[in-house]
Amino acid sequence: MDAFLINGPSIFASADAMSAKEPSIWGLGAYIAFVLVILLVLMSYAKKGLSVRVFKNPVTSLFEQLYLFIENMCVSSIGQHGRKYIPMMMVFWLMIFVGNIVALLFPFAPTADLSFNLGMALIAVCYVQYEGVRANGLLGHLKHFTGPKLSGAMVAISGLIFTIEIISELMKNVSLSLRLYGNIHGGHLAVEAMNQLGNKIYVPLGVLVLLLIKLLTCLVQALIFTMLTCVYLSLVTHHSEDHAEEGHTATAH
Amino acid sequence: MSNSQKSSGAPPALLYVAGLVLMVGGTYASLNLKIEAIEKLNEQGLPLDLGKTVAVIGVFLILFPAIKSFFLNPLTEAIETRNHQLEDTFSEAENLRAEMHKLRTDYEARLAETEAEARFQIQNQIKEAQNLRQQLMTEAAERADALVRQAQMEIEQEKTQAIATIRTHVVDLTLAAAEKVIGENMDTDKNRRLIAEFMDTVEVAS
Repeated sequence: MDAFLINGPSIFASADAMSAKEPSIWGLGAYIAFVLVILLVLMSYAKKGLSVRVFKNPVTSLFEQLYLFIENMCVSSIGQHGRKYIPMMMVFWLMIFVGNIVALLFPFAPTADLSFNLGMALIAVCYVQYEGVRANGLLGHLKHFTGPKLSGAMVAISGLIFTIEIISELMKNVSLSLRLYGNIHGGHLAVEAMNQLGNKIYVPLGVLVLLLIKLLTCLVQALIFTMLTCVYLSLVTHHSEDHAEEGHTATAH
Repeated sequence: MSNSQKSSGAPPALLYVAGLVLMVGGTYASLNLKIEAIEKLNEQGLPLDLGKTVAVIGVFLILFPAIKSFFLNPLTEAIETRNHQLEDTFSEAENLRAEMHKLRTDYEARLAETEAEARFQIQNQIKEAQNLRQQLMTEAAERADALVRQAQMEIEQEKTQAIATIRTHVVDLTLAAAEKVIGENMDTDKNRRLIAEFMDTVEVAS
């Protein structure tokens, strides 16, 4: 039992694992490949159930529910044009969720790596900027960062707001990546620490106490990442939609 | 896939190439490049590797179009097809319901029309029968009156005739009685005329 606790999955791991270094890029690659294999198997299985009118395959049904959930999230936070972001959000959600589940059972997972999370955050934030420029034009998008229109000596405040907004945009990367990293990596550390407490009586305390909470964390973190990305997209694209709707209404009248 | 769901990003081939380049470049950077600031972060407990980050960006650039074309497009298509089928079914059911409602309305209207017509016919028949009855009653009354009048006339005639006969008999009897009393034939034309004149003055009780 002791050997199992030391060498087993992360939820049973001892203090040795706590001091272990982050894996190399090949290790991270292997874990990403592992997550992708899981997703590929699930998707292939789910695809078989798409041919019928009513999805009886439980995996297909789950994917359908996930799709509808993401669709609802995109439409409710971004608007009708938010449907075009569904594939991106689905990919983020699936990668984060499956990565988090892997983190429950293995000593490491892609989402427990800050570099991996920073990569995803950079994609999300850069894409938000790209969509902002597409929707409002480069100047219009930059104008968003200056806050309300001020005149005279108050223009200096606009400059200050612009600087703060740029820092805020950069910090979105940090917050998105650190939040996920902190939750998953911190969850590992918490489980390992509690397991250490129960090692002497051969009871995996971390598993018993924290497994359900960690499971909830897996779900919530995937949700938070995608929802925040939706909110960021909404902030930079909703003006263009409003104007488009106003224009459409004016034309109709 | 509907227009609203079409991605606004770069073409998939470009994403694949860019992803591959970033993966290779990131891997190379992770293995060979050391940045002092990042090393310091690592020492402080933040295990950051920008090479990995670049490689991960590359992986995601490949993943987005790959997962989309492999699974999300078929899934979206299946959901939309099913939704359209359901919409069609509901629309068809709604049309059938409207048609049924229309048929029912027509049927009810026709039924009401038929009922009204039947009621009109019945009323007409009743009116006709009442007219006929009235006519028959009138005819019967007229006929009865005629019969009564004829009977009264006949009675009157019979009465007159009977009175005349009685008068003749009374004259005969009177003459016979007078003849017996007097003992001689008094049956002369003058006597007969006197008796008749007398009889005319006498009122016979009817």
